[in-house]
Amino acid sequence: MYTLSDQQVDFILDDIRRHGIEIEDLQQNLLDHICILVEQNLEENGDFEQYYSSVISSFYRQEMREIEEETLFLLTHKTPYIVLNRIQFFGLLFTVVMGPFIGYALHAMTGSNTITLGLDGVAIEEWKATIVFSLHPLLILLVLFFTPERLDPLIPRGARVLLGVRPFIRILPTDEPLLDSPASRLI
Amino acid sequence: MTYSSELIKGTLKTIVLKLLADHKKMYGYEITQKVKELTVDKIQITEGALYPTLHALEADGFVTTEVEYIGKRIRKYYSLSPTGKAKTKEKVKELANFMDTMISLLDIKPKMA
Repeated sequence: MYTLSDQQVDFILDDIRRHGIEIEDLQQNLLDHICILVEQNLEENGDFEQYYSSVISSFYRQEMREIEEETLFLLTHKTPYIVLNRIQFFGLLFTVVMGPFIGYALHAMTGSNTITLGLDGVAIEEWKATIVFSLHPLLILLVLFFTPERLDPLIPRGARVLLGVRPFIRILPTDEPLLDSPASRLI
Repeated sequence: MTYSSELIKGTLKTIVLKLLADHKKMYGYEITQKVKELTVDKIQITEGALYPTLHALEADGFVTTEVEYIGKRIRKYYSLSPTGKAKTKEKVKELANFMDTMISLLDIKPKMA
């Protein structure tokens, strides 16, 4: 039976972190699991690094982060959420950002010609305010929406956006199973 | 013969809950080994499926945890909470009913003992 040194335990923990596992509980669970495997299966004078490499690669199919993603998936889906594709997400963003200005314009068109903005009660002409305030968010939305995929790592084309409580926003990469839990890839 | 992941996927929570009901408290590695032993290697739960499930059960309040320090590392033991005990009975019953339904649906004749 192999006995792990403190340095080797630290090395394993660091490697788990390097592999993208950020949840501390999960790090500790995996650390203990790997340590047991090494201690039980490696002979006293065995090659730690070689055995460790073979053990760690058996924990995942593509990358170890899958385990963290699966954990977050299971935890996330306990709270209410909606999933939008890229166009729907930008549509929602457009509505949220632009809605007040459109409402402002409609209000002004059907009502008075001026509207009061700000705490100091300064009256501004409706169209001037609408155009000035709407151009900036509109410009940002348009740039984001039409940016090529390589320059838009935040929400790549084909990705879906999950809006929920915990986390508030999560980007799901293309082709990631949605309602079908990715657990099947891990078993 | 090992069973396909599709078959195991829907039963993992039930398996873990039942094991905890039978063994009071267990840690992750122990659970994987117990499942292997009880099923004669037919069901092998991977770490990638087990730990997310354990975290989800903990978040649901079905299991409670306690930790033991082993040198520089921590071993996390899982045990059933009172709601977890009730949930285990419910899940086992549901699975047993499901198996009966499948036997009937697929016209499988039970093996004689």
